[in-house]
Amino acid sequence: MASMSLTSEAVLALAPDAASAKAAHGLVRPSQWPTLGANDAAVWGECQGSGAKPYQTQVDLAGPAFRCSCPSRKFPCKHGLALMLMRAQQPASFGESGAPAWVTEWLASRADKAEKQAEKQATKVADAPPADPAAAEKRETQRWQRIETAAQDLQRWLADQIARGLGVLDDTALQAWATMARRMVDAQAPGLGQRIQAAAAGVRRGADWPEQTLARLGLLQLACEALGRRGQLSAGEQADLRVVAGWPMDRDEVLAHGPREADRWTVLGSATDERDDRLTERRVWLHGERSGRRAFILDHAFGGRGFEQSWVTGTAVEATLAFFPSGSGLRALLVDTAASAGAARWPATQATDEFQAVARRVAGCPWVGLHPVVLCNALPLRHGDRLLLIVDGRALPLTVRDADVWTLLAISGGRPLNVAAEWDGQTLAPLTAWQCDELLWLRGAA
Amino acid sequence: MSGPWTALLPAATVGTDRQPGPWPLPAGDIGALARQAAESATAPATGLLRAAGVLATCALAAAQGPVWAEPLPAAAPDDARPVLEPEAALDALTWLLQDGPARLQYEALLRIGQAGRRLPERLLPQALELGRRSIALRAPLLTVLGERGLWLAAQRPDWAFAAGASEATGGDAAWTDGTLEQRRAWFTQARRADAAAARERLQAALPELPARERADLVATLATGLSIDDEALLDQLRTDRSREVRQAALNLLLRLPTAAHPQRAAARLAPLLVLERGLLRKRWQIDAPAAAAADWKADQIDATRPQSDALGERAWWLYQLVRQTPLAWWSSHTGMTAAELLAWAAGTDWSEALVRGWAEVLFAAPADDWCDALLDHWPTSLREDPARMLGLLAPAARDRHLLRYARAGSQPTASVLVHALNACPPGQALSAELSGLLARTLSKQFGDGVLNTDYGLRSLLSEFACAAHADSLATLDTLPRRADETPSCAEALLTVERIVSARRALHTLTPRTP
Repeated sequence: MASMSLTSEAVLALAPDAASAKAAHGLVRPSQWPTLGANDAAVWGECQGSGAKPYQTQVDLAGPAFRCSCPSRKFPCKHGLALMLMRAQQPASFGESGAPAWVTEWLASRADKAEKQAEKQATKVADAPPADPAAAEKRETQRWQRIETAAQDLQRWLADQIARGLGVLDDTALQAWATMARRMVDAQAPGLGQRIQAAAAGVRRGADWPEQTLARLGLLQLACEALGRRGQLSAGEQADLRVVAGWPMDRDEVLAHGPREADRWTVLGSATDERDDRLTERRVWLHGERSGRRAFILDHAFGGRGFEQSWVTGTAVEATLAFFPSGSGLRALLVDTAASAGAARWPATQATDEFQAVARRVAGCPWVGLHPVVLCNALPLRHGDRLLLIVDGRALPLTVRDADVWTLLAISGGRPLNVAAEWDGQTLAPLTAWQCDELLWLRGAA
Repeated sequence: MSGPWTALLPAATVGTDRQPGPWPLPAGDIGALARQAAESATAPATGLLRAAGVLATCALAAAQGPVWAEPLPAAAPDDARPVLEPEAALDALTWLLQDGPARLQYEALLRIGQAGRRLPERLLPQALELGRRSIALRAPLLTVLGERGLWLAAQRPDWAFAAGASEATGGDAAWTDGTLEQRRAWFTQARRADAAAARERLQAALPELPARERADLVATLATGLSIDDEALLDQLRTDRSREVRQAALNLLLRLPTAAHPQRAAARLAPLLVLERGLLRKRWQIDAPAAAAADWKADQIDATRPQSDALGERAWWLYQLVRQTPLAWWSSHTGMTAAELLAWAAGTDWSEALVRGWAEVLFAAPADDWCDALLDHWPTSLREDPARMLGLLAPAARDRHLLRYARAGSQPTASVLVHALNACPPGQALSAELSGLLARTLSKQFGDGVLNTDYGLRSLLSEFACAAHADSLATLDTLPRRADETPSCAEALLTVERIVSARRALHTLTPRTP
């Protein structure tokens, strides 16, 4: 398996938060590591911490996957990051001797695990029908019925709101919206509930809130009506409605039956957002070099725990993805572990083609929240207190963290860059910027 | 996104119960589709929601930002200075801008500037933030921002300190359009090239300048100061700003042949008389018995502040002393600085004399006076000796510090404080003093002092920043103890980081611009 050494920036992009990155910098001191070793498959070291016994830190370069004997719940922990930083900055500090037993055993167990998972996958596909297909189907039918009834309810409620008018919405009226949202959760359609709450949150916010609210309610109406005639829709459209209702697709099902695409995928960027209650959401955006296809991989981690798979922005991986059935065809799962395949080959794009692709995806599924767009020759520009991205004579508003605004402007210097971003239909959240194949900027790296 | 929505918004706002439609949906395919969806609904409200669903979907599909027709602002000019390299120095810089002590930041910026390099773009916002918070860092920062940094700074009001004229513009743009730091640098340069011409430029600019900038630039006349500057300084003695007046008076003290210090000496001369004693002649000093009418015109403040420790006559004497160059005392009495100090201690007016002398010394430094004062620090002098140490050239300064360190009469922490206070950022302690202090610290740490001496621990990183390059090896191998506390370990880790950052910085080769 080909492995590559990561640059300091790439390593830091893997840090779960700024504090970990900072702590890792403090450990980039070979003198604090009594043992340091590396071979083609892994990097390892023992770090003298506050305890008597040094921590054993190791990285499987195929992932990269991290493991450390320290008690930290961060993932990867500061020791893992520091080890990789040192590997990038001071390769001479690493011995070439054979890997100690604690490294070889872990690597072997990882290989074992991967094999077993593949086997499990194979047997599942081949001959492991659900325990009771009839019962499962019955449960599924029941849930669809509940959702459809809820959608009918919701339609009536929506019509009530519009019959009375948005002008009368006050806090009491909005409390009724929250009640309606809870009813959707009770009816096993939490996705509809979230859309009601998002619409309620937008009321009286911003000058254009009436049309924003109306647009949100219009899309809800569309979802309700589509649920009403679900039987007439394609499998992909039905799957999209299922997601809109907040009923996740079964991952094993997607892995087994989802359409597959093997490609050399460039990691365009990843966005990690703290959701409520210590839930971290990560969206990794990929671009298939041969197919030209875009994909995103959605993962969640709880309580600061890390993600199983690391994706290094600005590199490429050889991997097979299984796509969720959908009219937009963006979301995918990784079928097997991804093998790093060297540096990214950034796509060269035209803005019109990118937005044409957005339009096609919206046509396939109007409820897609975020679209990946790659904008070449794009100029970040401060305009009043907003940051814009000027592309092809059009101005796209950017949503960027405060610190990121200035690093983005600094690396641009008033000259165009290439930018990969998440587009929500109104604003762009940039993930990555590069120029001449050199990765210059990462979201949150400032 | 208003456009098509204007058709639906009035009805959506007041409710379809009052405005059941039809609504003026736009012409074209999208409008037609929305109308068709609306008309097939059973109730007006549902119809409006359906039309909204069509418009929302189409808006999402069509959105690509408004047309931008305004001209684009100018990009940052190309940078003639190359970006800092190698990688090790960049890594060190990334760390020290974030977490390093100010003294290390100063050295880093200074060395990068001396090497003719500039900061990498990604670190510019952080560096500008440092400059915003620390005025002391601005001067070395300005040279390493490069065109890119100046361009960036111009976009944020609180980075205006760096938004002055760019290096590439050349000529006198730094003087006409620059920030105070840039004007000071330009003016210093101009004084070296042609002191008279520079003075005239300053004189012409003075009426427009705010007091703080006037005082700052007037003080810069110290470069290339000569008796030719007397007329301007004499005029500035009466400036409306106290700071400017003081700056002018301070500079006049460096011109013993100027009229103002000569008048001051002439006032003192009758008070200082050689009296014939029983065995030998002895100088006697007396304080003025009354304030004279012409004092005010010479900025002599006859009114003693109520809180002052000096009595009224002593205050008057002090006022006269602080306007008289130190050289006059030696030439008038034939005594050296050390002899004068010893003599003053035996007079009735020692505090007024010593306070006045110290003030003159800060305005017009003289090594023999500094040495004499530091060797026998008068108890009546409430100045910080470290400030006076700072007046001395490094070698002369270290003579005193080495004496303190060797005598062992002061704790190491106190010697360190003196040494560090007297060592301005961008300079290092001498090899001899650094070595002595590093070895002392190393021995004390081996004895476990670091675990208990909080004061010493907090000085450690500052010392690591100021130590001579030859002492870095000793600092890198400070003894570690099995029983060290976590905060000790952290302090030692910081020292290691500082040492490695400084080593990386010392690999940069200075270049003459």
